[in-house]
Amino acid sequence: MSALLEVRGLSAGYGRSRILNGLSLQVGTAERVGLFGPNGHGKTTLLRTISGLLKPWSGDIIFAGEPIGGLAPREIVARGLIHVPQGNQLFPDMSVGETLRLGAFSPAARLSATRNLNLVHDIFPKLLERDGQLVRTLSGGERQMVAVGVGLMGNPRLLMLDEPTLGLAPKIKGEVCEAIGRVSQRGVPLLVVEQDVEFLLDLIDRLVMINHGEVAFEAAAGEGLDHDEIMAMYFGPGTLA
Amino acid sequence: MTLETLLYILMSGLVLGSLYAMMAVGLALVWTTLGIFNFAHGIFITLGAYLAWTVADGRGLGLGLAAGIAVAVAVLMGLGCLAEILLIRPFLKRGSLVLIAVITTLAGATFLENGTLLIWGGRSKQLPPLVEGDLKFLDVGISAHEAAIVGVVPVILALVWVFLQRTRLGAALRAVSQNQEAALLMGINVHLLYALSFAIAAALAGLAGVFLGGIKFMSPSMGTDPMVKALVVVIFGGIASLSGPIRAAYVIGLLEAVSVYTLGLYWTQAALFLVMIAVLMIRPTGLFGR
Repeated sequence: MSALLEVRGLSAGYGRSRILNGLSLQVGTAERVGLFGPNGHGKTTLLRTISGLLKPWSGDIIFAGEPIGGLAPREIVARGLIHVPQGNQLFPDMSVGETLRLGAFSPAARLSATRNLNLVHDIFPKLLERDGQLVRTLSGGERQMVAVGVGLMGNPRLLMLDEPTLGLAPKIKGEVCEAIGRVSQRGVPLLVVEQDVEFLLDLIDRLVMINHGEVAFEAAAGEGLDHDEIMAMYFGPGTLA
Repeated sequence: MTLETLLYILMSGLVLGSLYAMMAVGLALVWTTLGIFNFAHGIFITLGAYLAWTVADGRGLGLGLAAGIAVAVAVLMGLGCLAEILLIRPFLKRGSLVLIAVITTLAGATFLENGTLLIWGGRSKQLPPLVEGDLKFLDVGISAHEAAIVGVVPVILALVWVFLQRTRLGAALRAVSQNQEAALLMGINVHLLYALSFAIAAALAGLAGVFLGGIKFMSPSMGTDPMVKALVVVIFGGIASLSGPIRAAYVIGLLEAVSVYTLGLYWTQAALFLVMIAVLMIRPTGLFGR
């Protein structure tokens, strides 16, 4: 399997506190990978380091065969590695349409902006209705749809979503899930961080648990992981008799 | 009060309002984009006037006012970028950027003000008016230069608005001011836009300086007083938007003109601050703030 994204021995953190401890991870060219694990153990930090918001302390990040560790976010976006951050508030005083179009800011994405905008409206028909509305006036679910839509406008070769359903009501959460399912059906490789493992299992090929800034466990989604096994991964084996 | 006095007050209020609006928009643009106050804004006014003078005046290059304005605007855009790169960029990662920026921009302003004195000397200079002569309006003569300012400034502000609302780069600039991290993740070059907001602010201030240099005598410290007024205007109008400061600029300009006529020059500054404090007590986010 040739890897689209390869992370090798990555360490990073904030100030003096180290969050990632030599983490290694691969995402294949057509793969959908889910990250889960306890809060504060480095899932978000991993995505922020991959997308260039944080500088790696050591280790390598290789995307489509090129090292990207330490590059500026815009150089990474230009390569088609798109990060949709957690709880993205976007631009409160901009309209939905304007925000989506800004998502195709990088020169590479600009060329396919029209096609991608149609794709976004296909996946999220609601966003076409809301085109002229200010982002500030959207509901949490709608705003999350815009955030994912912005990611798609970046013409992603790999789309990284950080807790796309965080803080959403169950019904809305279902809608967003379905939409992300439609995104992945279009063949966009995904790296999704999510607490809700049940949600992840429907969406992804492989599940990776991050604990203490390292990969603690990996399993293919098809291998029939059940609830108890996931609980065991969270809390350690043997806790459930 | 005769019609003539009324027109004079109105005209002088509109001229002041126009100049304050040009300056306040620059200050507010930098504030919304970078979250700092640029105290070097006043020296951009001075430099705009002096650069235009050097190019336009017979004692300099003698190329006429149009060339002077073009050179002043171009050089100030460059100086604006340079100010951002030298005074702000090294400190962007610091948590106390707001306070650091006060010190660095004040230092830059002092440096440039004394540089102006060194290069051009202390002797008062004056720029030619945009338009010579007087206009007759309802049998009252008003200076054509001032009428030109009142007419041209709204056009310039409209151009800035069109740039911000209707162009890609303008949209990116607004994006950066609303959510820097989301802008970064869209591949927007945030540093470039910081420099751009400084460049636009400096160019607007420089133009204000050229207009001012045709009304009053120029001196190296000529920008300080308008900058303080623009600061008042921005705070008074509500800092979070650009339209608030523009409206506030005309309100303050007209108030100042009325106050100069009724209370006299001496009490005007105090009266303006009194009005500002009173407004902020009732509306802490500014007169037109949200």
